[in-house]
Amino acid sequence: MAYTPQYGPGTSTVAENRRKQMNPDNKLEKVRDVTDEDVVLILGHRAPGAAYPTAHPPLAEAGEPDCPIRKIVTPTEGAKAGDRVRYIQFADSMFNAPSQPYQRTYSYSYRFRGIDPGTLSGRQIVECRERDLEAYSKFLLETEMFDPARCSVRGATVHGHSLRLAEDGMMFDMLQRCLLTGDGNVKYVKNQIGEPLDREVNVGKPMDEGWLKAHSTIFHSLVGVPYRDDQEYVEYVQRIHSLRTKYGFMPKE
Amino acid sequence: MGKIERAQKLFLDSLKEKFQGEDPEAVNTTYYRFGGLAQSPRKQEFIKASKAVEMQRGIPMYEPVRCHLGGIPLGQRQLMTYQVSQSGVFVEGDDLHFVNNSAMQQFWDDIRRTVIVGMDLAHQTLQKRLGKEVTPETINEYLHVLNHAMPGAAVVQEHMVETHPGVVDDCYVKVFTGDDAIADDIEPQFLLNIDKLFPADQGAALKAAVGKGLWQAIHIPTIVSRTCDGGTTSRWSAMQIGMSYIGAYRMCAGEAAVADLSYAAKHAGVVQMASILPARRARGPNEPGGIKFGLFSDIVQANRKYPKDPARASLEVVGAGTMLFDQIWLGSYMSGGVGFTQYATAAYTDNILDEYTYYGMDYAKDKYGVDWANPAVGDRVKATQEVVNDLATEVTLNAMEQYEQFPTLMEDHFGGSQRAGVIAAASGLTCSIGTGNSNAGLNGWYLSMLLHKEGWSRLGFFGYDLQDQCGSANSLAIRPDEGLIGELRGPNYPNYAMNVGHQGEYAAIVGGAHYGRGDAFCYDPRVSVCFADPSLKFDFAEPRREFAKGAIREFTPAGERSLIIPAR
Repeated sequence: MAYTPQYGPGTSTVAENRRKQMNPDNKLEKVRDVTDEDVVLILGHRAPGAAYPTAHPPLAEAGEPDCPIRKIVTPTEGAKAGDRVRYIQFADSMFNAPSQPYQRTYSYSYRFRGIDPGTLSGRQIVECRERDLEAYSKFLLETEMFDPARCSVRGATVHGHSLRLAEDGMMFDMLQRCLLTGDGNVKYVKNQIGEPLDREVNVGKPMDEGWLKAHSTIFHSLVGVPYRDDQEYVEYVQRIHSLRTKYGFMPKE
Repeated sequence: MGKIERAQKLFLDSLKEKFQGEDPEAVNTTYYRFGGLAQSPRKQEFIKASKAVEMQRGIPMYEPVRCHLGGIPLGQRQLMTYQVSQSGVFVEGDDLHFVNNSAMQQFWDDIRRTVIVGMDLAHQTLQKRLGKEVTPETINEYLHVLNHAMPGAAVVQEHMVETHPGVVDDCYVKVFTGDDAIADDIEPQFLLNIDKLFPADQGAALKAAVGKGLWQAIHIPTIVSRTCDGGTTSRWSAMQIGMSYIGAYRMCAGEAAVADLSYAAKHAGVVQMASILPARRARGPNEPGGIKFGLFSDIVQANRKYPKDPARASLEVVGAGTMLFDQIWLGSYMSGGVGFTQYATAAYTDNILDEYTYYGMDYAKDKYGVDWANPAVGDRVKATQEVVNDLATEVTLNAMEQYEQFPTLMEDHFGGSQRAGVIAAASGLTCSIGTGNSNAGLNGWYLSMLLHKEGWSRLGFFGYDLQDQCGSANSLAIRPDEGLIGELRGPNYPNYAMNVGHQGEYAAIVGGAHYGRGDAFCYDPRVSVCFADPSLKFDFAEPRREFAKGAIREFTPAGERSLIIPAR
C-alpha cells in the first residue's frame, strides 16, 4: 500500500498552514517578484553573470561507475553540471513569520531535491548545488513562505528571531542587511553575510499583520494562535512520546 | 491540562531592571541607539585593561571595534545585565564567565580537590597485622599529624622541602561517623558533626546510612589540583595519609604493611567525586565528566538548608550544575571558547526557571495534592505515563505562554537552546519532585522538548536534535540496553556527552526526586556530610549566591599566590 503523507496533526490554522507549505501538491501563492540577478546578489556566492564554479566535471564527462544507485537517482541540474555546494540561510521572527525553522526543513524535504538542511532555533540553512540553490531561493523569496520584514536572509550573525520588533516592524538584525525604506519597500543593502551590495535589492513591501497571522506557522498566544487551543496537536505529541517511552522506536499499541 | 492562575511573576523585577523604562509586555522597541560597547561598564574596563597589557607587552589584544564583524561592535541592541536568581544581585554577563568569577573557580576547585577515605581498613591493618593499639587518643594524634602533613609538610623525613602554609591554607582533613560514641571522642575541630550540621531527620538518616565507620573528608590544596589534575587528589592524599600513619603510629617507613595503608587510601577505601573517563575523553578521576548526577546532588547542600523547599534546593543544583557541566566541562574541557556561558546562565538568572518551576509546584499541588512544601514519600503522585504527560505538558505550555506574553522575557532568553533547557528543566523538576522518581523527571524533560519543538517549530542548536528527540525511549521505561536510573547517569552517559544545556538540569531533576521525598541524600550519604563542612571555601548550600558574590568580586578564593610573587 502506498504511503500517503499526512503532513502533521492539528485543527488550527497554524497546523493547516504547515500542511499547505509541506504538501508539494499545494501550489504556494506567489506574492512578489525577485529577479534572478537579485537572488544572486542576496546570496553573495558569485557575481551575477559569472560562470558557476564547479567542484567536479559535468557528470556526462566524468565517466560514472556502473552503480545501481546512480541508475535510480536522477541528478539535479546542479549535480549534472558539477556545481559546488552553497547555501541560503533564513532567520524567521517568532512574531508570525510565515515559515519557521523546522517548518522550512520539513517543507524543503517534500518540495526540493538534493538538499542538506540544518535546523536551529534562530536560523535554518539549506545547502545544495549552486544553480539548484538559486532556483529554490527564488521560490522561497517570492512565495508566501517569505515576508520581507519578519524573514531575513542571513549567513552569519543571524540573531533576531526572538527579539522584539523594531519600531518599524522589522526584525532586529545587528548588521542591518535590509532596511525598510521610505517607499514602503524592504531593500537589501548587504548580502547574506553582510558584505555591502553595489546596489539595493528590493524584496517588496512587508505583509500586514492580518496576512501574517492568517499565514503563520508558529503558535503564539500573544500575537497569533495559542498552542493550548489546538488540543489535537498537543495530544498527538503526547502520544508519540508515550509510544516511544513504552516501546522505543518500534511503537505498537 | 488545566491552566492554573499564578499571579506572582518572579521574573518581572528582573525584566524591569534590565529593560528600564520599557513595558515588559510590549512587542516593539528601538535598536541601534545604545552606543555599542559604550553602554557596558565591564566592556569599558576590558578596553582599559587591554591597553595597559598592550603597553607592557607590545602585542595587540582586545580590539572589539576593529575585530568584531569587521567594524560593528557588540551592543547594537541593549547589552543586558542579569540578576543571579534569588540573590537580588545584578551582574554583567561577562561576570558569569568562570574566568572572571573566582567563586565559580572555587566551586570546582573544592570538588576536584576532595576525596573521602575510610579509616577502618587502616585501623584493621594497624591492629590486626601490626598489633598496634588504636584509641581515641591515637586517632586524634593522627589527625593532628595528618593536618600538618596534608598541605605538604614533612612528618618522617629529614631535610625535606615543605609548602608555604599561606599558599595552601585551604587544605585540611576532618572526619565523620554515624556512631555517636566515636564522634564524642574526636576533637571537635576535626569532626564533621552530623547532628549540628543537618536538620534532625536528615541527620538521623545520614548517621544510620554512614554507620559505625570513620571517614576522612580530605581537601588537598587548591593550588595542587590546579597545577596537576583531579587524578592527583587521591594520590596526594594517599601519600600524606601514609606518611601520617607512619609518623603517628611509629611505623617503619618501609615495612610491607605500609602497602596496605596505601592500597586502602588509593583504592579500597577511597570515594572519588568522579569516575575515570574512557580514553577518548582522556580524563582521570575527579574530573567533571565523571561526576554522577546523584552524587552531584549530594555535593550541593541546598536541601540541607532548604529542606521544606525542594524546588529551591533543585534550582541551586541547576545553577551549580550548569556552571560546572556547561561552562567548565563542556564549554572548556571538551569544547574550548567562551560561548557556553550564555547557554548556562539562562538557567540561573532572572528567576525565570524559578518562576516556571514554582508554577509546576502549584500545579502539582492543585491537581494531585502533592504538598511540595512538606516533602514526604507518602503524598507523591504515582509516576505513571499519564501523570508525567500531564505535568510536563502543563508546565511546558505555561512557560511558552510566559515567553509569548512578555516579549522582553523572550528577548532575555534570546536563544532557543536557553529556552529549551529552561522549559524542559521546569517540566522535569515538576515531574521528579511531584513523583519522587528521577526517571519520571527525565521523561517529563523529553516530552517538554517534543512539545516545544512542535509548538514553535524550533528547539535548540543541532545537538538538541540528537538527544532530545530520542530521550523518550531511554527514560521512565528502562530497557536493559539503554537505561540507568538517573542517579547513576552522568555527563558521559551515552547521548548526554556532548550537549550543552542539559547536564546540570538532569542532575537537579535527579536531586529533586529525593528532595521531594524528604530524603537526606540522593546517592552517597558520605558525600552529603563531606560538603556540609562550613570550613570549605565555597558554601555549597548557596551556590547561586556564591556565584553572585564572585561576579561582584566579593568572594575570596583559595590558591593565593601573592606570597610567592613580586608585590604589585
